[in-house]
Amino acid sequence: MSQSNRIVKQTGKYVLLTAALVLFAGPLVWMLSTMMKTKAETYKVPPTILPESLNFEAFQRLFDVQPLMWRWIQNSFTISALIVIGAVLSSSIVAYGFSRFSTKYKDRLFPIVLMTLMIPPSILMIPSYVLFTKLHWVDTWLPLIVPAWLGGAYYIFLFRQFFMTIPQELDEATYLDGGNRWTVFTRVIMPLSKPIVVTTVIFAFVNSWLDFLGPFLYIKSNDMFTLSVGLQMLIGQTSQDFPALAAGAFISIVPIGLLFLFAQRYIVEGVVLTGSKG
Amino acid sequence: MKNKLRQYDTLVFFLFISPWIIGFSLFFLVPFGTSVFYAFTDARLPGAVDYNFVGLSNFVDMFNNPIFSKSLQNTGYFVIVGVPVVTAGMLLIALLLNMNVKGIALYRTFYYLPTLVPIVATVIIWRLVFNSEFGILNAGLAKLGIGKTDWMGSEGLIKPVIILLQVWISGSGVLIFLAALKNVPKHLYEAVLIDGANKVQSFFRVTLPMISPSILFVVIIQTMYNFQMFTEALLLTKGGPNYAAYTFVYNIYKSAFTDLKFSMAMTQSIFLFALISLVTFVLMKLSKRFVYYEGEK
Repeated sequence: MSQSNRIVKQTGKYVLLTAALVLFAGPLVWMLSTMMKTKAETYKVPPTILPESLNFEAFQRLFDVQPLMWRWIQNSFTISALIVIGAVLSSSIVAYGFSRFSTKYKDRLFPIVLMTLMIPPSILMIPSYVLFTKLHWVDTWLPLIVPAWLGGAYYIFLFRQFFMTIPQELDEATYLDGGNRWTVFTRVIMPLSKPIVVTTVIFAFVNSWLDFLGPFLYIKSNDMFTLSVGLQMLIGQTSQDFPALAAGAFISIVPIGLLFLFAQRYIVEGVVLTGSKG
Repeated sequence: MKNKLRQYDTLVFFLFISPWIIGFSLFFLVPFGTSVFYAFTDARLPGAVDYNFVGLSNFVDMFNNPIFSKSLQNTGYFVIVGVPVVTAGMLLIALLLNMNVKGIALYRTFYYLPTLVPIVATVIIWRLVFNSEFGILNAGLAKLGIGKTDWMGSEGLIKPVIILLQVWISGSGVLIFLAALKNVPKHLYEAVLIDGANKVQSFFRVTLPMISPSILFVVIIQTMYNFQMFTEALLLTKGGPNYAAYTFVYNIYKSAFTDLKFSMAMTQSIFLFALISLVTFVLMKLSKRFVYYEGEK
């Protein structure tokens, strides 16, 4: 009795999980299926769930309709790389300041770093646009990249929390050997901080790849677009070519999907720690 | 001598944090100050040099604009209806994923995937699924005998569709709840079990109180996010149909980039900031009654 009871219970759990899975993975499967259909097949009523035959013409059409696709993909990678480098370098340097010095200014300024995390970003959308207009940065990548090189609050926080766990004795040994603050940072702290560097690299990459609003507001020229902004324009151009749109969506998911496969642990830990997707 | 050293070290401290000081001043203090300043002027363009001070008239105009009240109502809907629905959805999924069955890790991966999809791709996918002629959703509903529904084109449905989209990409909140559920001590469940509590009772008497700090955290983050709802509304239906998804931040965007009234957009931004601060403050105050922190008396 209790044996069969358990089997019923286990089965019930799988049924629930699988039903929910259909709701969550279903739309992604529908995208995959649509991108491999012919244009004609997507107009069938009722629709076919899986493509009648696999074909990848949609990708060909996508790159024909929009010759800038390659350019946008390259742009997205370039911008993301520049943001990642800036985030790691600047945030680690600032976090070292906030973790290893004993001055009253440190205790007064660090709460302000944390406070900026709580400020809703959209209230700064318009005044930032005014600022970047006056700096003549609109229609360049500078509004996306420069802020990353000047210390993001999230990453400063992540680095600082990590640095606090490194024993101070290691610093002191280096001072005895004639080292200064900078040598401690570069020779002691950073070599021990690989895990947090990896986390920051992943988070900064995911964040910049997912960013839509920044590039959408500041970049005006088609050949400077990121992939997301380009795809948004494509929706307007070919709203009825469903396979090509699905192919475009698929391409924009692949880099993050691959990263997630290899770095799932880091992403999950980071989310739980900071409460954001990045 | 010692004093000199100390001063020198303070200088080095400021050198280390100088990137943040520059970034904070340039990309935070300056824009913040700019908005407060512009809100009392009639500047129209981002680089405007000739403008007049108009006192509080931007604030008066703002409240007299019917589109402003509409956008405030829409955003109110996303906060008052959207936040509880999305939070409950996250909690429900987290409870599902916390079940003790084989292969659960694989399920968890799939639930998190939509969260990592770029928003433009999400919108493309939703247009494919919800397409009233050729979408899979209406086809499935037709099998159940439910007639064709125009999901994106009906005023009554667009907001629920957007909230559903938020549940679809709510993986981060689910992860936070999942971590909290794992931290609930097992012996508490055993204790109420001995008291004769069933599953539902133990959920309300043990699980909910124990994870209440995480609930507060998620509710605050989601509230702030929904107050700022914009990209989804812009990309799905451009705020339509008939202003049904015209959110507060969408209105700010339109004031600036369509009406070219930058001073009005700044006025609205300041109002939004005040509103979000007030609501967050009230949430924190109210939560003292509901949130249980371990280690507290």
